[in-house]
Amino acid sequence: MGAGLLATVSQKEQIGVMASHVHRFIGGVLNLTQVGPGTEVRVSRLECAPNTCQRLRELGFCENAVVKKIRGGADLVCWVCGTRVALSARLAKQILVEHVDGRS
Amino acid sequence: MWTEGPEASRLRGSAPVFSMNQETSKRWVAVVGNPNAGKSTLFNALTGLRQRVGNYPGVTVEKRTGTAYTLHGEPMELIDLPGMYSLSVRSPDEEIALKVLRGESADLPRPDAILCVVDASNLERNLFLVTQVMELGLPVLVALNMVDMAEAQGVRLHPDELSQSLGIQFIPTQAHRGKGLVELRAALGQKLTGPGPRRWTMPPPLAVAVGQIAAAWRESLPAELRAEGKALELLAGSDEGPEGARKLAMAWRERFRKEAYDWSAAVVNARYTYLQNVLKEAGVGVGMSGGNWTDWIDAAVLHPVAGWGILAGMMMALFVSIFSIASYPMSWIDGGFTHLGGWLQEVMPSGLFRDLLIDGVLAGVGGVVIFLPQILILFFFLGLLEDSGYLARAAFLLDRVMHRVGLSGKSFIPLLSSYACAIPGIMATRTVEDPKDRLTTILIAPLMSCSARIPVYTTLLAAAVPVALVPVWQKAGAMLGLYILGTGTAFLLAWVFRKKMLGGGSPPLILELPPYRSPALRTILLRMWERAVVFLRRAGTVILALSILLWFVSNFPRTSEDPSAKLAGSYAGQLGHWLEPVIRPLGFDWRIGIGLVASFAAREVFVSTMSIVYHVEGEEEGLIEAMRKATWPDGSAIYTPLTCLALLVFYVYALQCLSTVAVAKRETGGWRWPAFMLLYMTGLAYLGAWLVQVIGRALGF
Repeated sequence: MGAGLLATVSQKEQIGVMASHVHRFIGGVLNLTQVGPGTEVRVSRLECAPNTCQRLRELGFCENAVVKKIRGGADLVCWVCGTRVALSARLAKQILVEHVDGRS
Repeated sequence: MWTEGPEASRLRGSAPVFSMNQETSKRWVAVVGNPNAGKSTLFNALTGLRQRVGNYPGVTVEKRTGTAYTLHGEPMELIDLPGMYSLSVRSPDEEIALKVLRGESADLPRPDAILCVVDASNLERNLFLVTQVMELGLPVLVALNMVDMAEAQGVRLHPDELSQSLGIQFIPTQAHRGKGLVELRAALGQKLTGPGPRRWTMPPPLAVAVGQIAAAWRESLPAELRAEGKALELLAGSDEGPEGARKLAMAWRERFRKEAYDWSAAVVNARYTYLQNVLKEAGVGVGMSGGNWTDWIDAAVLHPVAGWGILAGMMMALFVSIFSIASYPMSWIDGGFTHLGGWLQEVMPSGLFRDLLIDGVLAGVGGVVIFLPQILILFFFLGLLEDSGYLARAAFLLDRVMHRVGLSGKSFIPLLSSYACAIPGIMATRTVEDPKDRLTTILIAPLMSCSARIPVYTTLLAAAVPVALVPVWQKAGAMLGLYILGTGTAFLLAWVFRKKMLGGGSPPLILELPPYRSPALRTILLRMWERAVVFLRRAGTVILALSILLWFVSNFPRTSEDPSAKLAGSYAGQLGHWLEPVIRPLGFDWRIGIGLVASFAAREVFVSTMSIVYHVEGEEEGLIEAMRKATWPDGSAIYTPLTCLALLVFYVYALQCLSTVAVAKRETGGWRWPAFMLLYMTGLAYLGAWLVQVIGRALGF
């Protein structure tokens, strides 16, 4: 039972990873952890708690804002509105972005 | 179909004209800005030493006001508010700032004007706050700060164009070099006018809602100048205002919720869109994104391996300098007090009063004042780290560690401040947004070894091992070990408190990493001066009073002329003897018991108490010599290395500071948590010291 549940979860994760690759391939939406350092992306949607979303927007992570990822890793650093902002990876996963030139 | 009603256009009335505050006749100016915009540097440059630091009533947010002068020599009062990114309140710090700006603070008048300090290299985000501040209905002046750095980054600034398009005055400044201050003082002295009507365009659905609510407000209160701003506040959930407007706001909120229209996001986006256009029209170029030396430094400082090495190196450098550099001024102060004591001995007739002065006041106060250089060095380093921008990087590095124990990197700064003193540390927790994170940070903050422990650590380390035999780096290493013990325990307990006791998830890290800057020496020196004044005032009041009291209770009742018997028979001696059975398992005698009880007021009192205790016993040489000679009745030494270590561990853990208890009470709003803090820390101290004795003896020490 337990093993079955685990298998389901990991399968779901795999599907999720595959789906994100597919999205990347067809030019769909990625999250901020999925782009490499040095990439400029456009914020397309925020999927975090309302308060956190508001704070992110006030710091410049508005929908349609262009941000640049400077460093990756467990916590990452972005260039937004002329400043460097550090975010935890957990939060960065909730920031959906697309490549600026429409390329994926 | 959404259309902009007639109300919305009527809102754009004429700009109100403000004169000086009628009641006080002095002009009050609130200084606001994003964190890292150079706000405090500008405030310091304008006010210099004419500053007053206090607390807002009922809370412990530091209230900093200072007097500046217009070019005509008229005084004006500046209020330095905590740094903030927006007027939406999230932390207690921001709540206070907003109250002051709205004129709701109990002990400050409503400001006559607001001085916004903006970082010129980062205008878009800094001006976001300005657009919000402009809606408070007060005259607004903008200090376009750090223009030199912005221009060096390739940002082209056009202050006149910006003034024109935003409708408020922009004055270029370089606060750290003192440039632009004359223009700023001149502008602050002029008759100031309100910023005028809103210039950014509200998205259509919201414009209709705000128009209707504002109209309803004005129907009840026609004199309201900023009905639109009030309407937005009502939508955001405020419940202050006329009933009609409140009901309307509630209805609109419900409607937006049903239609899944995120109006607050729309407001933020609309402000940013407006600002992007303004900056484009004013010809303000955008600086290069990254690739400069800040990123080069970050590559090393934030490196998963090298970054930790740099952090450890910085901390080691701090502790080594606390010992090596500080030893010179410390020996001067020591010499000064010894000289003074010798002089008093000569010129005064022998008697109780001379004893009180030499053995009570000089031994007590001098024993504490000697540590001023070490405390100043600590604050100097903390100031350097903070102003250079490194502190935010350290918080970033530590976020992962903090996350393991359930806290975010934001708790790091209050904890680091606690190395200086738990009181500003606990006060700094007001920037931590999550209430459970904040409570946990408050509970563990006193475990970070504060500067008041430095005297105790130094004395006990010197008593444990002969000073001359040990090189400086070993002493610094031992000291660092004590700091690591406190910090490690703090993290362990944070895990227990945050994850096991309070439960729930912690908020994710969002932290600005400011560009590296050379720190403003003036700002750091001012801060050190402030701390020196606080420390000396404490030495001159609390510690002086306690020293006199202690001298009294350790001299009376006079049961014998023999110094040792005299102390044993005194009130303090009786208390110590009464306490001895409790602390005997820790290897502490009744004299240490006196020190422990006395230092419940403040830790550093331990050193002055021991100085007085041994002076009363007739020891003429220094405290450390006296301690090393002290014996149990059977002739064995009291201050064995093991007992010194037990005592050190006791002081690492014990909450020996009444001020911390008082601050924790105010910050947590009751006695429950400070009582818990006192209990768990005293328990931990006792247990820790006992374990040192038991394990040490078992190992044959």
